[in-house]
Amino acid sequence: MQGPGRIAHGLLTDAERPLGFRFDGQPMQGLAGDTLASALLANGTRLVARSFKYHRPRGIVTAGPEEPCALVDVIGASGREPNHLATTLMLYEGLVAESQNRWPSLGFDLMALNDRFARFLPAGFYYKTFMAPGWAWERLYEPLIRNAAGLGRLKAIVGEHAAPAETVHDHADVLVVGAGVAGLTAAHRLGASGLRVVLADQDAVLGGGSLLDARWTAWRETTCAALVGLGTVRCLSRTTVLGAYGHGVFAALQSLAGADAASSGALRERLRIIRARRVLFATGALERLIAFPGNDLPGVMLAGAALGYLRRYGVAVGRRPAFFLNTDQAYETVFALASAGIERAGVIDVRTSSLAAERARGLGIEVHAGAVVEAVAGRGGVATVRVANRDGSQRREFEADSLLMSGGYCPTTALASQLGAVLKWQEAIAAFTPELLPTVGRVAGAARGVFGLAAAARNGEAAARVIAAELGHPALAAGLGLELPVDANATPIGALWEVRAGGKAFVDLQNDVTAADVRLAQREGYEHVEHMKRYTTHGMASDQGRIGGLVGSAVLAQARGLALSEVGQPKPRPYAQPVPFAALAGGEVRQHLKPKRRGPLHDWHEAAGATFVATGLWMRPLVYSQQSGWEAVLREARAVRRSVGITDVSTLGKIDVQGPDAAKFLDFIYANTFSTLAVGRSRYGIMLREDGMLLDDGTTSRLAQQHFVVTTTTANAAVVLEHMEFHLQAVCPQFDVLLTDVGDQWAQFAVAGPRSREVVAAVVADLDLSSQAFPFMAASAATIAGVAGRLFRISFSGELAYELAVPARHALQAWLALLEAGRPFGIEPYGLDALNTLRIEKGHVTAAELNGNTSAEDLGFQRMPKQHGDFIGRALSQRGGLTAPDRLQLVGVRPVDRARRLRNGAQLVAPKARTTSLGYVTSSTPSVELAGWVGLALLAGGRQRTGERLIASSPIHDEATEIEIVSPHMLDPENLRVRA
Amino acid sequence: MLRIRCPWCGERDETEFRYRGDASQSRPAADAGLAAFSAYVYERKNPRGWHLEWWLHVGGCRRLLKLVRHTLTHEIRVVGTAQDQPSLPQEPGR
Amino acid sequence: MPGKALSLRLETSASDIVEIAALRGRARELERVALGRGVQLPALGRALAATDHLALCVRPERWLILTPPAAAGASAAVWQAVCAGLGAALDLSSGLNALELTGSVAREVLVRSCRIDLDPDAFPVGAACATIMVQVPVILVALASGVLLLTPASTARHFHEWLMSSAKTFGFMPPSHLNGAAVSDDQLS
Repeated sequence: MQGPGRIAHGLLTDAERPLGFRFDGQPMQGLAGDTLASALLANGTRLVARSFKYHRPRGIVTAGPEEPCALVDVIGASGREPNHLATTLMLYEGLVAESQNRWPSLGFDLMALNDRFARFLPAGFYYKTFMAPGWAWERLYEPLIRNAAGLGRLKAIVGEHAAPAETVHDHADVLVVGAGVAGLTAAHRLGASGLRVVLADQDAVLGGGSLLDARWTAWRETTCAALVGLGTVRCLSRTTVLGAYGHGVFAALQSLAGADAASSGALRERLRIIRARRVLFATGALERLIAFPGNDLPGVMLAGAALGYLRRYGVAVGRRPAFFLNTDQAYETVFALASAGIERAGVIDVRTSSLAAERARGLGIEVHAGAVVEAVAGRGGVATVRVANRDGSQRREFEADSLLMSGGYCPTTALASQLGAVLKWQEAIAAFTPELLPTVGRVAGAARGVFGLAAAARNGEAAARVIAAELGHPALAAGLGLELPVDANATPIGALWEVRAGGKAFVDLQNDVTAADVRLAQREGYEHVEHMKRYTTHGMASDQGRIGGLVGSAVLAQARGLALSEVGQPKPRPYAQPVPFAALAGGEVRQHLKPKRRGPLHDWHEAAGATFVATGLWMRPLVYSQQSGWEAVLREARAVRRSVGITDVSTLGKIDVQGPDAAKFLDFIYANTFSTLAVGRSRYGIMLREDGMLLDDGTTSRLAQQHFVVTTTTANAAVVLEHMEFHLQAVCPQFDVLLTDVGDQWAQFAVAGPRSREVVAAVVADLDLSSQAFPFMAASAATIAGVAGRLFRISFSGELAYELAVPARHALQAWLALLEAGRPFGIEPYGLDALNTLRIEKGHVTAAELNGNTSAEDLGFQRMPKQHGDFIGRALSQRGGLTAPDRLQLVGVRPVDRARRLRNGAQLVAPKARTTSLGYVTSSTPSVELAGWVGLALLAGGRQRTGERLIASSPIHDEATEIEIVSPHMLDPENLRVRA
Repeated sequence: MLRIRCPWCGERDETEFRYRGDASQSRPAADAGLAAFSAYVYERKNPRGWHLEWWLHVGGCRRLLKLVRHTLTHEIRVVGTAQDQPSLPQEPGR
Repeated sequence: MPGKALSLRLETSASDIVEIAALRGRARELERVALGRGVQLPALGRALAATDHLALCVRPERWLILTPPAAAGASAAVWQAVCAGLGAALDLSSGLNALELTGSVAREVLVRSCRIDLDPDAFPVGAACATIMVQVPVILVALASGVLLLTPASTARHFHEWLMSSAKTFGFMPPSHLNGAAVSDDQLS
């Protein structure tokens, strides 16, 4: 059973392959090649949706992606997906679709009461009504509105079972958008001339308008075969160009399989990013509606859509259609349905005479010339049509089961407009055409207002010729020499936008915007077409109001007393059609969402039971335990204070600096001096931004006269490298310096604690590690566990400590050798938490204090910047505001009651003024060496407040802890341990 | 999306580059004083039209480029090396 | 691509990698001394393969030289001597991981995140470039056998997992373990 509407053989359908599907629970049959819409029409289903605002019954209006009404939910393995267009959804066996915006059922919709109360729901209703009281929006209005409104219902399956998607990057000389006669011709000629072409068309088959005219079949088939044979043209069907982003970049969505594909794990869609030197828009023209009362009743359809259903799927949309049109082109549907044997109720032609009307009369078709449709009526669908002459005389009514309307054709301008095309009004077709800059591309065929297939073919060829010449191919390859069927002569359009006869005349069927709404917007001051759009929501639905966009502008123009060309159209934006988020995300989801950086010992840390923490992209061991709490952290830190510990600091940024001017360059980059650093020595340095704030800190070692290695904090590694590269090239290009990122090349470990010398000595055979031979801040090449590496005597923990660097490939070898050497001393690997405990006790800063708002002086580095010579940030760091005594300065804090804890972020307040913040705790930890908790804080005028008692207030924890202000150097302030 | 024709790497997506600000600013001499440095760091023209810009090609050759770009049309007229001294076009961008 | 036999192979290859960079105005001299050592340094955007090394250039006046693995830092030490006074030579053997993607659909896999035009006309054998893929830096080199990919060691696993996932579209099954193989002559040719 193919349904009562199937009257002929369709170009795309396969009569031998029936497919079963369900719509609103009703089992039906269609054919392979059908869309859901054509299958529903074949089954005689007219009512497919309720409208968005008034919940009026709606039917199928178009045969393509411009469909405003026939939106359905598809229920499949990947959940419930709303807003599928029945007109583009390919039918498959077992498809389950449901209509939208109806409750409890499509036939009986309680919300249709909205329609009765429509005079209370004018444009701007929500803006005007839900104003006060303020609280009511969140609690009352919004939930009510959300329940009543919305398109479809989403219930997605996410995670591992979600449908896969991917992005593909394409490059071409020319992107041809639209594979109608103009696009096919141009793509062939460009491809044959040796240019790389991407040809994208939203339809499942190439051909555009030629698919609807049997005279063009041979031409189309020959041309498509030739295109495939060229090898230079990539033909992408079912590929919608979603947006044009300038500089030749376009996004397109390629549909690969039906919505059921998710169950098989196959790709459903692919986002293509296309980069092209030129674009040719051969996107055709869209038929537009006429605003007349009842123009949304099921059974009212665009005339061209009816022709499409007949030719493509063999489906007649009605058994007794009437026609309401104003161009000769629209008569093609009249003639096609007549020759298919469909009874006609009559043709209402706005014009008093036309060539096509004469031809129709010759075929015995009744034509009401110079007339308009004043209304259509019927329960749930068109039953009668009321016609009158344009002056309102001679009202008559006749029966029809459908009304096929055509208000003319609008060249599709959306993509060209996104590229800044100028729209020009063309009186001959009563529409705008886009004019692109030649360096961007061209527009051809119906998209340029050239109607008629043969004319479009010639126009496509002409466009190809100029594009080829501009791209260095002055001799365009010869065409296929095919004869073009002759275009019929046509009488010009009789422009008509609206029939004002009482009743709702829609200009936007998806957002339920009427011509009266547009006039209301104008009366209330929203005169500009962009304001009218937003006030009425005309063109803001997922179909972008494409079939009625110009009609709304025309109604506005009439209301303003201006020409339509002066009012213009709202600017359309991407995306040209609804796009699933999954398609935009492509494959960069789940584990591919963002890169994880793993150090060379990652697997060892994991095997050792480390809990990892993400710092930036890096995965770093936080503590070697899966237990929460401080016990393991303190065990690790205690090992460092009492004996020895080892930690992986490979994530530090490392920049190799070489060249005759390396020292001078570092003097400029850093606030302190490096040119005086001796070879074989390290120095702590601070780096400012040009505005005087601290950028980063770290140690820099001089390996040779013209060779330094800089370490940066983990977080700032990339920033510092860019900062140095920028200044080297932009500000001091006279310096001959080579900068190389060696961060991933070198694994680096800190071995810290009173026994660290013994441990390091066991693996470094070629150096004397005594304090005389290798003092604090010494640096040297060293053989570490047999590997050529580097040894630095630097300390972040405040203990006697060394940092050892080996090429990352040999990291495990060196690390295991150090663990083995440390075994007699009970060496403990320690993570980021213990590292933090140690450095807080010592008063060393990290990103919590180097937070972009602190100056050198704030953190106690006031003596570090050099007195002579220029450096980045020198001038502005001397501003009064950055040296004011009441700035937030680094201090140490300890709870007076040693049993109480500290909280990062707690505000420091005076006991008697607890709502005035004096500063805040930046870092805190239970201490190993001192009783209780210790912390670092930024406190107004802090250095002068040592010994004061304040309150650390953390209202979100309901805590207020009395603290005392101490020096940040809470442990070993004389720095004796590091020099041991 | 900008496509920038790097003199070293060829035409690349904007995502490979890091914008580094107004290239018409040059760093004052060390002794130029607070006002000069303040202008260097904070004062920008924000033109509607042609603009001289620094772009660092971090995703490619890591060279610093000097661009002449139109802030309205995004047309890129010149992509030069850091030391080039292109003059700003007089005519409006296309 | 029905009818076309699909093949794809993803291998990690261990090789020594040395970066040499010329000081200002010394690039021509550096090229001469390198040639004296049997290494022709290619032009920007190009790679040159020889029987015992692969040299490539994706940054002006900087070259990467890949050789079969030797003792840690040994290759770099040799080049440091060669470059003395003319530039710097740095061992990047541990900093970069080398992957090779071979087979008829290697480029089809790569265009799933590579924004560079990989058409054989635009990126022929012997071409090299540095770009960003799946948010990480990658150097691509077109070899006769496929595409050599150099990526920072810390994000190599991320990149490798991405390639395997992209390749699934083409029926690629991830191997149960990865072979560390030296860069061999046939891979370089």
